[in-house]
Amino acid sequence: MAGSTKVILNIPRLTGLKQFMRSLHTDYARLSSFRSSSEVKPLEQYPEVEVLHNPPEWKYVERLLPPRTVPQPVEKSEYPSGWQPQTANGEESGYFVARTKNHMVPVYLNTRFRGQRRLTIVRYIQGDIWALERDLRQVVEQARNGKLCATRVNELSGQIHIHGDYVDLLREHLKSKGF
Amino acid sequence: MLKFLNKTRQLLYPNVRNLSHSLTACQSNAASESTTSVGKETLASKPALILPQNYADHAPVNRNSARQAWIENVDAVAERKVGLMELHPDVFAAQPRVDVIQENIEWQRKYRYVSMAHTKTRAEVRGGGRKPWPQKGMGRARHGSIRSPLFKGGGIIHGPRSPTSHFYMLPFYKRVMGLTSTLSVKLAQDDLHIIENVEIPTRDAQFIRDLIKERNWGPSVLIVDKHDIFPENICYATDLMGYVNLMPAFGLNVYSMLKHDTLVLTVEAVKHLEERLLYQLHRNDAASKQNKFKLDQV
Repeated sequence: MAGSTKVILNIPRLTGLKQFMRSLHTDYARLSSFRSSSEVKPLEQYPEVEVLHNPPEWKYVERLLPPRTVPQPVEKSEYPSGWQPQTANGEESGYFVARTKNHMVPVYLNTRFRGQRRLTIVRYIQGDIWALERDLRQVVEQARNGKLCATRVNELSGQIHIHGDYVDLLREHLKSKGF
Repeated sequence: MLKFLNKTRQLLYPNVRNLSHSLTACQSNAASESTTSVGKETLASKPALILPQNYADHAPVNRNSARQAWIENVDAVAERKVGLMELHPDVFAAQPRVDVIQENIEWQRKYRYVSMAHTKTRAEVRGGGRKPWPQKGMGRARHGSIRSPLFKGGGIIHGPRSPTSHFYMLPFYKRVMGLTSTLSVKLAQDDLHIIENVEIPTRDAQFIRDLIKERNWGPSVLIVDKHDIFPENICYATDLMGYVNLMPAFGLNVYSMLKHDTLVLTVEAVKHLEERLLYQLHRNDAASKQNKFKLDQV
């Protein structure tokens, strides 16, 4: 981790190490370095500091820092929020709907024309997207009492657009299928 | 197809992993024993290098099986498989989004393009200050200037004005997707090769020419290492060859990958690219990268 350093000012010990660190910093300034800035004077003009790597207290700081990437979910038997982990891997259905990086089901609502047109968008589809489109359309048409439902499939980007706001319905359907 | 791929992943990888763990253990033992021995002897007796990746942090989203690629040598012209490397499916087996690749190419062409096309308005064309003929009495149309846009040799209205910048920034995650798509496309088309390092034995350009001919690498080759300081030999050997170029991993871009027929990555570069791209795909503060681009930001 880049931040795992500690700076202590003016401690007159380990001069050899200090000289060594200084020599590391004074060989040449790359353009990406802060030392390539014209505002920064030569390092000799600044007070001497000792750079500590991985001091024992650092772990208390580290636990306050937010994680850099989204962590894997903690395994529990039941989640009070209603979220559930992905269980299907698409082997029996032939298609697969991947979770987002935040482990959510990728079903979104897109509103256009001041909310007059609502599109439900299912993303991150892999495998047989046409089979999934048939299944989803069946679910939506059942909810519409048998009325037809307009869909659009983008196979290249792995997306299905469904006319109307069926986000909750499709999300719960996909979750019930284990996606 | 999904089923087949998943099965191969499940069956193949544990075996490969176990094998490689034992091999790496052997290697480390051998290395600790024979640190003082001559390098050439250890090279010949070195067991095959198999690099499995640890995907615990970033489980593959992609249901494609992880790709595997041979690691090749560059210490001689003759091809030798040094090892096998697993590649993360989210980076090297991503959906080939040709539309996003095209957007990246267009962006890379445009952001550095400044149009110098220029025309003069009626105010800038020389002369035309005086009324060409009286308003009335001549039987001719009324005009106030011979440099009016209606006149031959007059000014141009709404013409191109230089310099016109075509700079814009593609959304951050389109740039990330462009990289993963292009890497996947290159791998799928067998245009991506992995070499163990860039330490070639001579600084002779003929060595590189022979190497490219022997390996069936394309007419043009892009060699990518993790760091921007390459060893001396390869710099001298490729310096005068316009169709062989060296690039650090942080400079890798869609345009250069498509411009060169063959992309040659070192093992270090592959690991670095995978780590950085997976970080970008899984980072917590992704929203901070999706803000409007400001010119005065660092």
